Amino acid sequence: MATVEERVKAVTGQLLGIDPATIKNEDKFTIDLGAESIQSIELVAMFEEEFGIEMEEEAALAVDSIGKAVDFITKVCKDQGVDV
Amino acid sequence: MSSERQKHPLTDTTEPNLIEDTFTYDLPPLIKFVKQPVIEIIDGQPVEFDFNSVKTRDIFVTDTTFRDGQQARPPYLVDQMVRIYDLLARLGGPNGTIRQTEFFLYTKNDREALDRCRGLGHRYPECTGWIRAEEGDFRLVKEAGLQETGILTSSSDYHIFHKLKFKSRKECMENYCEIVDAAFDAGVRPRCHLEDLTRADIHGFVLPFVDRLQEMSMAVPENMKVKIRLCDTMGFGIHYPNAELPRSIPKLIYKLNRECGVPSDRLEWHGHNDFHRVFSNASTAWLYGCDAFNGTLFGYGERTGNPPIEGALMEYIALKGDLCGIDTTVITELAEYMTSIGFPISEHYPFVGKDFNTTRAGIHASGLRSDERIYNIMDTTKLLNRPPKVAITDKSGADGITHWVNEFFGLTGRDRVNKIKIHKLARWVMDQYEKEGRLTAISDEEMENKTRELIPDLWETHHTQ
Repeated sequence: MATVEERVKAVTGQLLGIDPATIKNEDKFTIDLGAESIQSIELVAMFEEEFGIEMEEEAALAVDSIGKAVDFITKVCKDQGVDV
Repeated sequence: MSSERQKHPLTDTTEPNLIEDTFTYDLPPLIKFVKQPVIEIIDGQPVEFDFNSVKTRDIFVTDTTFRDGQQARPPYLVDQMVRIYDLLARLGGPNGTIRQTEFFLYTKNDREALDRCRGLGHRYPECTGWIRAEEGDFRLVKEAGLQETGILTSSSDYHIFHKLKFKSRKECMENYCEIVDAAFDAGVRPRCHLEDLTRADIHGFVLPFVDRLQEMSMAVPENMKVKIRLCDTMGFGIHYPNAELPRSIPKLIYKLNRECGVPSDRLEWHGHNDFHRVFSNASTAWLYGCDAFNGTLFGYGERTGNPPIEGALMEYIALKGDLCGIDTTVITELAEYMTSIGFPISEHYPFVGKDFNTTRAGIHASGLRSDERIYNIMDTTKLLNRPPKVAITDKSGADGITHWVNEFFGLTGRDRVNKIKIHKLARWVMDQYEKEGRLTAISDEEMENKTRELIPDLWETHHTQ
């Protein structure tokens, strides 16, 4: 089974049209990966679908990098009893 | 005058100061004055005015929707006038904040409308007449059983010499005074409309004429004494301090009120909007001593129009700090009715326009979403039955679209959805502009259809129709 990191990179790459293999943990969604405002929201929605979780809007949209997203999603999965 | 520079240290706090004693939100923002009097230099001397007295003075609104308002449009049908009058009565409330409304009396329809309006039995607004300054016209007033009528007593030399063709001011004044006498004889209270006052020779004609009216009024009971309407016929009036006569509203009111001795309850300001000053001018007249603010619904009147009485009522509430029996929601009913009978109201017109509390910018919608007070002027839901809205364009952003969805479904508190839930709808909106090249706003109907298509769960749960 793919790790949280791999799944986050796969979803991000799919939405933004980037090869997931080139995405690094320190990449910031907007500055480095070019996510526009609406794409940030779409990413959160896609992460929710991918992991079967619900994220708090403000906290989720405040996450600005791949690595922080991995940590944030891992914690939410744990809090909501979702195995990853 | 102190002009020294001062330091202004920051008052740091973690609690916002929302100045809620002024911006109460359940009322229009209150208008407050410092305790000190306002000074106007008149004839070289400082004269004091106490604006705070407006809290206790019996100021009121008078309406001319059926007279001046009707000079700017095809005639109303009798049924329409009766409906509008009925709504005016509800709007002004039992305290008579809309105290009077005036009617033409010349046609059969004019008189039928008057009879049917009075037949409704409302105490307020009192129906008054409006006639030319001709003695024979008092027969119409008397036959209609009215207690008061406005009469034209033009005051500028433009009117006296060039319109009415009098040979001298004396001849003009004598003619006007004969008309006033005729009104007294007919048992009708005259309200002299000093037409074109803001272009008149105040000391050479207006004040002597008003002195004469005051003398004539001494011979009649209180309820017959002459009222004075200060008519800013061409919108020349200026409310700034220390403007010169004849355009200065403070000075005009001072001269009539204090020098001629016409009490405030017999002074009325009637303005026109030719220089965009109409509302401030009328409100200023209230503050300087005119008790009556004359206007029309939605400001519709000859040429550029008159002061809007719905605005006057908001100002009244803001000055008094209380609704005082005014039913502001009737403003919306009146706008809907007027629109239904072909009366055009601009989409951006305050209080009633389709978009008066609609925001298009996403960043504003974001504010509305977190606390509607940020971008709504007052509780428009309670006061006007008009919740703040967001119009959807490329500028709306996800915040605007989220606000639209929440308002559309009437979601409140924990039921309100967030941006994440509406992302498909937000994407569709963005694509309309970025991919489809759309240039127009998206209608509510389109948004409704797309919401049903793209967020079916939400639709199933919350759509009630």
